[in-house]
Amino acid sequence: MSIAEMLANLEDEAVMAEVKKQISDGVEPMKIFEACQEGMNIVGKKFQDGEYFVSDLMMSSAIFKDVSDVIKPLLGTEGEATIGKVVLGTVEGDIHDIGKDLVHAMLSAGNFEVIDVGIDAPVDSFVNALKENPDAKVLALSCLLTTCYDSLKATVEAVKEAGLTDVKIIIGGGPVDQSVVDFSGADTYGETAQDAVFIAKELM
Amino acid sequence: MIPDQLFLDRVERIKRTIAFENDRATTCYTGVATPAEHMGVKMADFVSNSDLNLDTTLAYINELNEIAPIDCLNIGAGGNKINVILTMIWLSKVKMPGRELPENSLWQIEEKKVLKDEDYDLAIEQGYDALVQKILPQVLDMGELQEFMEYAQKNGQKNAEKVIANIYPSVNSNNASPPFEILCGARSMSQFFMDCYKIPDKVKAAQDAIFPGVLENMVATTRQTNGMGSWVGGWRGASALVSPKIWDELVWPYMYKMGMTLLENGITPTFHLDQNWDRDIERFLELPEKKFILNTDSMTDLRRARKLLGEHAAFMGDVPPQLLATGTPQQVTDYVNRLLDDIGTKGVFITAGCDAPGNAKFENMAAMFKAAYEYN
Repeated sequence: MSIAEMLANLEDEAVMAEVKKQISDGVEPMKIFEACQEGMNIVGKKFQDGEYFVSDLMMSSAIFKDVSDVIKPLLGTEGEATIGKVVLGTVEGDIHDIGKDLVHAMLSAGNFEVIDVGIDAPVDSFVNALKENPDAKVLALSCLLTTCYDSLKATVEAVKEAGLTDVKIIIGGGPVDQSVVDFSGADTYGETAQDAVFIAKELM
Repeated sequence: MIPDQLFLDRVERIKRTIAFENDRATTCYTGVATPAEHMGVKMADFVSNSDLNLDTTLAYINELNEIAPIDCLNIGAGGNKINVILTMIWLSKVKMPGRELPENSLWQIEEKKVLKDEDYDLAIEQGYDALVQKILPQVLDMGELQEFMEYAQKNGQKNAEKVIANIYPSVNSNNASPPFEILCGARSMSQFFMDCYKIPDKVKAAQDAIFPGVLENMVATTRQTNGMGSWVGGWRGASALVSPKIWDELVWPYMYKMGMTLLENGITPTFHLDQNWDRDIERFLELPEKKFILNTDSMTDLRRARKLLGEHAAFMGDVPPQLLATGTPQQVTDYVNRLLDDIGTKGVFITAGCDAPGNAKFENMAAMFKAAYEYN
């Protein structure tokens, strides 16, 4: 069974053993990494098809992170190439981190570089992160509380007021739907962590 | 005290709704945090002063009741500290407004890995009480728990009578958490879901070991509070969140047993289902018909559920919290009308999905109950 298949089947120990074996056998690290990414793509497809659920995404993300920690130091400058950069965080007043962390993991697995400003993040932290990373074209905001819709809106407004008009803003979280997009002025929303990857790719 | 006839009629209405014999949709209030802003009470005071909490909540419901009758409450009218209640359910620390959070913010769960690897063994060897005794002091000030217990002992009866005097029967008086939710809360969702893949046998052994204590506690607490019903909570065990294997082995058997145990004790189970339960909704056919309630939050498809379950289970829901917070009264009215068009009024309690949010607009709450009451 290939690394991609093992990862798609969520066989954590088998994936790690095979990765280590291939490294010691002299297989090019980038090829091993790409196999892991292929496994994550299969997981994403299974999730999209209703075969996998959030717990499966979390498990696959954990496996991917573990193997990435082993492979990435071996990649050198080759490993720095990504599809693009996303600034991510949970808005001010909201301390939820699970959804944000899952989006972070799925975006990383999708070969995005993620600038994570954390939870309960003040408006300025998002604006500053975007200014410090002018190549970041997507801002992903997590919001799990209806009482933080105002923070969501304030963040969107601050980004626009800062002149960062070419940045596309995705929002997500349990109580987030099109009505919250309309309320906040964001560009779109994702229902799942996997949606964030698809949407970010479209927006790049 | 002798309850008012309207109170007794409303109790009867609850029973008739569960049995699909109600003449119209039954209106049911839920909104633990909702009254504070409308009544001009700081959230920090609202959650820390139990008398103020109850009085404010009742005054808010009374204001709604003037616009459309509030037939019942989902789970009481407050009157004790929410952080203690939530911590007891999930074994997680709750950050509170005016303490760890700004004065007018909502309380929030701080999800951390408190339950250590070795605590699984403690649970397996010594059961529920030992686990709770080990974890609870790490997530809750024991002095606050003591105050909570003393307040309940001193004021429980008086507060219950105050709610009855306001003519609001409560469908549920207890909130019981299945082992999956307890361990998930104490372990943190990320870590616990990993455990379900990596050490499923140990997780199951721990759940089995604490389950007798969970059942005993659930029945005892509901009886102590003279309740008609008890929640059986479904949060992280939702079908959309966990794989079928995890759900079949670690979630459903325990929820089913909790439901059956409540019924055997003459208590009505309300399965409080957050997130989406579509995949497994038919499993509720395993419980006896017209004896329980599914309390959903708008993410489960009630139209599909009605088709699959028929008149097997009463529904309690499911006006979306985001609609109550950001929508207009007309949008709320339209939502309720469309829902009742599609699922009918028999066996239906209309309420907010999950729990009305802290920033639900009063006019939207009123529109929800008015639409349900006036629906023909």
